[in-house]
Amino acid sequence: MVLLVLCFSLLLSSGCFGTSKIRDNEVDSTYRLLYSSEVSTLNYLITSSSHEIRIGANVIDTLVEYDSFGNVIPSLATSWKTSEDGLSITFELREGEYWVNEKGEKIAEVTAKDFVSAMQYVLTKEYESETAKLLFGLIKNAKDYYESQGDFERVGVKAYGNYTLVYTLEQPCPYFLSYLTYGCFMPAYGPLLEERKGQFGAATGTDTLYYNGAYVLSVFKPQEKRTFQKNESNWDADRVYIEKIEETYNSEATTLAPALALRGEIDYAAIHSDLLDTFMKQENTKDLVTRGRKKTDYSYFYIFNFKPKFDKRYEPENWNKAVQNENFRLAIMSAMDRVKALRVVEPNHPEELLLNTITPPNFVSFEGKDYTEFQALNNISKRDSFKKDMAVIYKEKAMSELKESGCTFPVKILLRYRANSTDWANECIVLAQQIEGLLGKDFIKFVVEAGPSQNFTSQVRERGDYAMLKANWGADYADPQTFTEVFDQHSATNYLPLRGEKLTIMPVIDIYYDLLSEAKESVLDIKERYIAYANAEAYLIKHALVIPFSMSPVSYQMTKLNTYESSYASFGVSTSRYKGMKYYKVILNNRIMEINKAVWEKEKKTKERLVR
Amino acid sequence: MGKYMLRRLVRSMITLFLVVFIVFSLLRLMPIEGYFPNYEKLTVEQIEAGLKNMGLLDPLPIQFFRYVKDMLHGDLGYSRTYMANVLVTDILKQKIPISMKFGLSTLFLALLISIPLSLAMASHKGKLIDRIGTLFLVILQAVPYAVYLLLIQAIGTEKLHIKMLYHANDVTTWILPIVSMSLGNIAFYTTWLRRYLIEEEKKDYVILAKVKGVSSKRILKKHMLKNAIVPMIQYLPNSIFNTIIGSIYVESLYSIPGMGGLLVQVIQRQDNSMVQAVVVLFAITGILGVLLGDILLCLIDPRVKLNSKGGV
Amino acid sequence: MTWREQNTKEWANINELSSFQFANRKIEDNKIRDAKADTYWMATIKTFAKNRFAMFLVCVLLLLILFTIIQPYLPSQKDPNLIYNSRKTGQQIRNQTPTKDFWFGTNSIGQDLWSRTWSGARTSLFLGIAVSVIEAIIGTTVGLLWGYVRKLDAFFTEIYNLLDNIPSTIVLILISYILRPGVTTLLLALCATGWIQMARFIRNQMLLIRDKEFNIASKMLGTSTLRILRKNFMPYLISIILMRVSLSIPSVIGSEVFITYLGLGLPLNIPSLGNLIQAGRAKLMMPGLRYQLLFPTLIVSIITISFYLIGNAFADAADPKNHR
Repeated sequence: MVLLVLCFSLLLSSGCFGTSKIRDNEVDSTYRLLYSSEVSTLNYLITSSSHEIRIGANVIDTLVEYDSFGNVIPSLATSWKTSEDGLSITFELREGEYWVNEKGEKIAEVTAKDFVSAMQYVLTKEYESETAKLLFGLIKNAKDYYESQGDFERVGVKAYGNYTLVYTLEQPCPYFLSYLTYGCFMPAYGPLLEERKGQFGAATGTDTLYYNGAYVLSVFKPQEKRTFQKNESNWDADRVYIEKIEETYNSEATTLAPALALRGEIDYAAIHSDLLDTFMKQENTKDLVTRGRKKTDYSYFYIFNFKPKFDKRYEPENWNKAVQNENFRLAIMSAMDRVKALRVVEPNHPEELLLNTITPPNFVSFEGKDYTEFQALNNISKRDSFKKDMAVIYKEKAMSELKESGCTFPVKILLRYRANSTDWANECIVLAQQIEGLLGKDFIKFVVEAGPSQNFTSQVRERGDYAMLKANWGADYADPQTFTEVFDQHSATNYLPLRGEKLTIMPVIDIYYDLLSEAKESVLDIKERYIAYANAEAYLIKHALVIPFSMSPVSYQMTKLNTYESSYASFGVSTSRYKGMKYYKVILNNRIMEINKAVWEKEKKTKERLVR
Repeated sequence: MGKYMLRRLVRSMITLFLVVFIVFSLLRLMPIEGYFPNYEKLTVEQIEAGLKNMGLLDPLPIQFFRYVKDMLHGDLGYSRTYMANVLVTDILKQKIPISMKFGLSTLFLALLISIPLSLAMASHKGKLIDRIGTLFLVILQAVPYAVYLLLIQAIGTEKLHIKMLYHANDVTTWILPIVSMSLGNIAFYTTWLRRYLIEEEKKDYVILAKVKGVSSKRILKKHMLKNAIVPMIQYLPNSIFNTIIGSIYVESLYSIPGMGGLLVQVIQRQDNSMVQAVVVLFAITGILGVLLGDILLCLIDPRVKLNSKGGV
Repeated sequence: MTWREQNTKEWANINELSSFQFANRKIEDNKIRDAKADTYWMATIKTFAKNRFAMFLVCVLLLLILFTIIQPYLPSQKDPNLIYNSRKTGQQIRNQTPTKDFWFGTNSIGQDLWSRTWSGARTSLFLGIAVSVIEAIIGTTVGLLWGYVRKLDAFFTEIYNLLDNIPSTIVLILISYILRPGVTTLLLALCATGWIQMARFIRNQMLLIRDKEFNIASKMLGTSTLRILRKNFMPYLISIILMRVSLSIPSVIGSEVFITYLGLGLPLNIPSLGNLIQAGRAKLMMPGLRYQLLFPTLIVSIITISFYLIGNAFADAADPKNHR
């Protein structure tokens, strides 16, 4: 009876309000989507998290930006000039740009001083900016000021008048421009910083910031919704096509979004690989799922633990002996069928995700020649490391060599993943089965074990509680050096054993360190620099000190935006910008998207040829 | 009475203090990675400086007493990783009304359904209504709620076409969460009311009334219900206070920005000042709820002795 | 001779009450009920057996438990963690709806859901039973002390007040959060909160029985505390403990599902009903894939409802008022 009553009341009420109110998209272009993780701050000067800086990216303009092909184009700066010694860079700013509040009312003009005040804020220790580190060693005296504060005059950022901004560097940096779209180089209205101090950009409402970008944040209700409204007074307002972006919070967004997008309640849904097959099969959805644009922001690779500190059960001593043997590592490297493992996240075109080097292709190039095509890396980037026959040969060699050094078989390999990451877990299970199948359980035995959902890095990687582990690294600036930071003994994030450790493998690693410091020294000649870095990277991979794996998975999605219209870059916040994209009234068909992609690729090539 | 209340109050305070201390110490066992959103890219010195800044390098007792002192001044500190540099009290002020709104509607709906339901079941004991009702209660109590709430969500959104996402201004979106939340309460209240009603039925005054020829409907409504509700009154303050806490599962299923999801989120983000504040709030509501329940019960039912220790 | 008779005699001798004469009647002749057939336990079981529905559920549950145990040893069963590749294409058989080969279908990476479901049921049942038994052991021990030793009453009551005020969700979350995810962690987290309720329940029962005449009598007769606890209390308590255990199993299984929902549950390579439901939940919005949610929820519901009803039926049967 009660159930009946309940049902009736539900039916009645839904009849009254529910169905009648399916909202028309009354404003011509309001783009609606769900998000599942709320930001902890709107302060773009301190956050380093990519989902938090997304807001800053859309509401704040930077000195330069990227077009949809990855070329630097002017934004707040109209022109720039590097001094002859390469130590100072002068930017001429656009005049008549305004800071506006959340209602779009003009507050003050954007001047060179706002860049100086913002950088002072970033370098003020008590605000704990997470991106301040990027300035160290780059901007003159940045580190010194951060540590001892005092007079800001000595830091290498100066405003001359309202429209001239000069950065002074510690040493010449040919890729300086690639830093400029990070949060720590964004401007902020000085008086507001003074007034709000630590409360600048607090995630309480829209009034904690002033805006100068393509959008203003007109509504911000934490864990409810946020709305971006086009900023009409922006210099480039003509290129901002979407009038309004409405983002609604839902902690279950990944599960719910596809159904809601099909029902027309939202305009974008990421399709998880779990559901992909089904979506591709269903008649009504198979044309609607499109692939996102390839990203070159992250590189994924498998690392070996040369200083194992895991549980005795998994025989760390034995692993230690085995992993220092090059043939053993090579056996695993050539037995790893990466395509099969990648099918977990990308069932349709896993081979397109493969990465044969640590530095992804199309990341940097010199005179039209991609870094991965430099001589040392050319062979490696063209091959697939998965070679069944070679794997067996390496295995035989490793077995006989290891038996001599007293290693017992099978060697247990502790493979870890984060407990709440289903894809990662599945990938580990697939890999373990596949490699064991090829090399034989008499040789190796994988132990796949979950790590904690939170604090995975400190609990697993830093404690050395793994034998093999998938790691990743993202580019911070446009130079091959950025990807060596995980294999550099001078970096806090080094995965390799340090120089001087008592391991039989050390001579091999020392050579790599030598190659690396050699590469670091060549500052002025780009070609020479790239050749040196390519040498070092090739050495790393040839000796199987690391197994390059994949780039960031390409997302499958249903969307009403053409992703090929947005800015494109491997670093900085540009890719999170909505500027330049148009809102189409229907979910884009995948044939149309393929055409968009082809057009984009063609135009990109033409542009590159022009540059050459 | 005054003495009794004073004693209860002091004891509640001590309990509260200990609860805060235990939670405080437990949170210090957490790995430090959670304090820094971008731990991977920080240097050792930056981490050290950050910890020092947060006062986490001081000895535990010093940290604790600093915290208690601030708390007594109404200062619960600033949130760190949940909503950077925002006063904890401000966040709670935003969240509590939302959860309470849902909680009170839920409670209302639950009482609205469980009182007639239990009356119907008790007066038809062993008959069809009672059996169907019991089946309903058994399902609610035995099946994990994580399972049946999913069903409600699927049916509600797919068959009844109710919008799934919570919008503060769209009343239809409140229906599913309120129904989902009230089910547990309905099961609780109905089960106990039915049991008390059946117990009342055996009592002399009911038999007397029956013999006197009072209609059984009248006995049920006028006399038995009143007596059966008395023991339930005890739970009412607790139920009301619990509305502050909200429901973790339902709130996150329908993305209601209330207190329920807050606890899980702040624990996951390791926002210690937030976790402490929320736990203290939970403890206060729990302790106050029980306290008020006892006082209310002894005001209404003079038979209950004040010093009796925990019922069966 | 029953112990009561024996004791009466001894007592009489000790006090040398010569005026006290035996009436020369045999107890056996005067008994209304047959002692052997009518022990508390027999009566309880008899009453329980009369409840046909409950007996049916017991059978269902026993069969289910038996099946989860022997399932892996049955012929042509699949490994719950093995990924199956199609012979034709060499690719994983992903999201395959139930077929002759895969009775419950496959999941999104091509694992067999039939074996995963049973393996999951095994894990969840193990967790449920283990946690309830551990809770019962700790809870009973503490409860006995709490209820019997008067000096300890205030102490335990304070502890109870303290622990009762820390929301169990918080303890659950904190423990599963701090420790490495796995069966032991979950076991610890689930046990950490339940025992105090059990102890309090036992203690309240103890208070009811403690001051009854027969207890005072055996105390006066100098019976040792241990013996009193064992002989006088346990018969009453055992049924209550059993009932609590059977009622707490469904709630433990429910908690496991909830913890998994929060992302703090068991790793994927240990299938559990919580894991399977969580994985199936992601497909809730895809009608074609709902079978992945259906089977685990069905099993969970059967297990929990059965335990719940059996627990209640047993509670009725254990109540002496309902005997005969």
